[in-house]
Amino acid sequence: MSTTQSKLEKNHPLSKDQEDTRNPEKVGVFLCRCGGNISHTVDMAKLKDSIQAEFVGEFENLCSLDCRRHIREEIIERDLDRVVIAACSPITHLKTFQNYADLLNPYMVEMVNIREQCSWVHSDSEKATKKAIELTQAGVEKVKKALALDKIIRQTEKSAAVFGGGISGITAALSLANQGVKTCIIEKNPTIGGNMVKIGKVFSPEKLAEECSLCILNPIINEVINHKNIRILTKTNLLRAGRRSTHFKIILEKETGFVHEDLCIACGRCVEVCPVDVPDEWNQKMTTRKAIYKPFSQAVPDVYTIDLENCIRCGKCEKVCTMGAINFNLKSEVIPLKAGNVIIATGHESFDLNKRPEYGYHRFVDVISQMDLARILGVNGPTQGELLKISDGKRPDRVVMVQCTGSRDEKDDGKRYCSKVCCMVALKHASIIRERFPETEVVICYTDMRTVGMYENYLRYVQDKGIKLIRGRPGEVSKKDDKLLVRVEDTLERKPLEIETDMVVLSEAIEPSPSTMRIAQKFNVGLSQDLFIKEKHSKIKPVNTDMERVFVCGTAQGPKDITDSVSQANAAAAKVSEQIKNGTEAEPPVAVIKTSRCNLCGKCMDICGFKAVYRDEENMAVDPMACRGCGACAGLCPQEAIEIKGINDLELYAQIKGLLSDKKEKEIRILAFLDNVGYTAADTIGNNRLCYPEAIRIIKIPSINRIMPHHLMYAFEHGADGVLMAEYPDECMLEAHKAKIKELNESVKNQGIPSDRLRFYKAYAPHYRGLAQQFTRFFEDIAASN
Amino acid sequence: MIKKDHKNDTDSLLEVVIKDYRAYPEMGIKRCLQCGLCTSNCPAARHSDYDPREMVKMVRDNNPEIMDNPDIWNCFYCYTCGSNCPANNSPCIVNQILRQKILLKGEKNTRIYKFLTYGYSYMDFGVGSIPSDFFDALVADFGQMYVELKINLEDIRHDLGLEDYNLKGKALNEVKSILKSSGFTNRLKKFKECHES
Repeated sequence: MSTTQSKLEKNHPLSKDQEDTRNPEKVGVFLCRCGGNISHTVDMAKLKDSIQAEFVGEFENLCSLDCRRHIREEIIERDLDRVVIAACSPITHLKTFQNYADLLNPYMVEMVNIREQCSWVHSDSEKATKKAIELTQAGVEKVKKALALDKIIRQTEKSAAVFGGGISGITAALSLANQGVKTCIIEKNPTIGGNMVKIGKVFSPEKLAEECSLCILNPIINEVINHKNIRILTKTNLLRAGRRSTHFKIILEKETGFVHEDLCIACGRCVEVCPVDVPDEWNQKMTTRKAIYKPFSQAVPDVYTIDLENCIRCGKCEKVCTMGAINFNLKSEVIPLKAGNVIIATGHESFDLNKRPEYGYHRFVDVISQMDLARILGVNGPTQGELLKISDGKRPDRVVMVQCTGSRDEKDDGKRYCSKVCCMVALKHASIIRERFPETEVVICYTDMRTVGMYENYLRYVQDKGIKLIRGRPGEVSKKDDKLLVRVEDTLERKPLEIETDMVVLSEAIEPSPSTMRIAQKFNVGLSQDLFIKEKHSKIKPVNTDMERVFVCGTAQGPKDITDSVSQANAAAAKVSEQIKNGTEAEPPVAVIKTSRCNLCGKCMDICGFKAVYRDEENMAVDPMACRGCGACAGLCPQEAIEIKGINDLELYAQIKGLLSDKKEKEIRILAFLDNVGYTAADTIGNNRLCYPEAIRIIKIPSINRIMPHHLMYAFEHGADGVLMAEYPDECMLEAHKAKIKELNESVKNQGIPSDRLRFYKAYAPHYRGLAQQFTRFFEDIAASN
Repeated sequence: MIKKDHKNDTDSLLEVVIKDYRAYPEMGIKRCLQCGLCTSNCPAARHSDYDPREMVKMVRDNNPEIMDNPDIWNCFYCYTCGSNCPANNSPCIVNQILRQKILLKGEKNTRIYKFLTYGYSYMDFGVGSIPSDFFDALVADFGQMYVELKINLEDIRHDLGLEDYNLKGKALNEVKSILKSSGFTNRLKKFKECHES
């Protein structure tokens, strides 16, 4: 069928009858008795005699391998070019029969469901037989209009860009590189390693111990540095991201540090002469570094860099550098990168403790965060691992930890979620303190201790070391003489307390980082309510984002510990690998944009909740992997430039007309357009042998968005007494659904059709009884008004 | 012990509180985790046995004993509990609702006596402010600082570009007439008589 013909049909549906003068299609019809499941209710002989087609045959169990031979033989002998299988549901067996009829294009095989939609739901044999005939004949008419289609295979470029060089990004990159995928790690800081290198020790609940984080991470980092498939770009930010059919076109900017990375041998002479002191981020600003610096001894890449913001350009470092590595004329570099897949592993930030002024983080020097404490307890930290107060360098007699600072907090600047790691972090630090500085007392003020699963063992292990747990959330930290005062109610004792202490440690919330949000925005990736990267579906599509070929792992997706981050990173790498290895296969229906007609208005892109439509340089394009073929874009396109491959208008017309044919006087016919979920529910009605009126005729569609007003008019003109549209309310297409329902309701009204003849219903697979009731009620209402 | 009456939810203390006009729609009393942050911050709890957390618990448990608890009259509406409750609850508002319920039953009218002076201050100046009766007590607590604030208040407000906060003339008369026709003035009088008798 040429485009012009199809166009003509769309505008003038009724001219269709005059057009059937081409070579008649040769349709073979195969009827299944289904071991009595169909033949006990439907008169098979009558059915066979009533169908008009090139060939009609009746078989016992069509799905049996024996029948595969019959189907093939008939196709060859009679030169059939299309096939109708009148048997059970296409959901269970369409693939089987497409395979049995593999001499034909799979889209030349039509299944008519005379079991779930006829013999199982109707008991009156005569009526059921009549319906079976009409369903089957409608299938014949529909398949005559079918177009051969090819499956769409999409081979993604064999490369990946990983944003973020923390434990999640490193793990994902390494897994991909080991599978032969060229991977680029993009890190905004001068070194990779992320938060894990800073925290000093990690908790190991299975060993009941704390392990050195750098010792665990170092071998992995070394592997990353030396891997031939990994490229590391530090001090690099994302400028632009463009989506293409098989890859992303990424533009990066590598900030200059005035140091040639290839020439610097990290001798450190430059640091000795630098006159500028800057608070050192590596030690949570408890110490200072120079304007030329290396973040920490084991930083990767192992080079010095200049902090442009604080450098006074005195040039002293340039003079002492024997390698000539320092050059103040070095400019930032723009780097283009082509990557088949993207993993967002940009991590998190810590809650700004100034937002809880009542705890005095900035007023009192000895009120610190858990990350500050981690640095203090770190042997490469400001106190070389000695637990000392920042104020006077003395050992605290008591440390009070305040859990949930900024977490589980409904106030405007708080985080409603639980940050998940803080209970374990507090216990880890309590454990280290009790082990190494047993004279210091540790008090943890908590609302709930959340040490889930095996972590409970760790809680008991730390409790055995002697800590004090107070069940209450402190309201205030104040100062009394040279002591800090923590106000808290011991809620188990109903006793307000004022705890005198030398050090207060606030367990700060994990919060989404602004750079994660920026990257998400550039890749058009959706965020959750709490502004982390949203997974496509947390249960069945974890690590997928709502954007095809963009994945997420680690704390960019939500608060989690290292164990979970690493699992997620490996999962993300596996998903990228899936895309790359064999390519992925998309099945029609899918939308296709005719570029020649398109005027780039972008309405299709706005309506698509699956984010399948994108702008590819000069053209609009549809990613077939993301497209569900729902048809929302096609209905909206002012240029009519979008076609839905897989369920064309002629097929729809033929099926509508077929299902309404041979209607007797006073007979009622109701068309039910069902999406996949609705159709599954209708199958379940059959499986459970519930009954509904024979008047109901089901048409399977990808979505109600596929149905245009002219389809509806065609149905009403050909004798439909009612039209029911049932669809699962998919969250990301709700707006499109609402617009569609409005459009269809208005079109019915404008044509003077009573509004009660068109109904919409929300379908849920397990609530098949509701759908059956809806069928019956609709029929009864129409019967009453007729 | 949870004493919540499951059968008669509509009449429970919790429902009464939630449905009261003083309760804002998103008030998180049902989400209270009994963390005790309100109590730790509460000046009344610091100086008496009043425990806002416990009060909220008793309301949630539908425990009528809270109505006879003398400590709930120690709250003086500083709203600190509500300003940083992580569940976005406001024990202070819960307290107000309970007191109103008690007073409407005609009980404990004498408890309100010490607050009457706020009402008179409202009638006299048309705004809620610290009544002059408390002046001596505040000077005792805060010393010269408070005296200076009081003396220089108008200048301070002027320097900050703020107008006089006391209502005058027509506006003040309007407030007075609203207070009178709404029954506020009479109620105040009644409470005063109650105490004196």
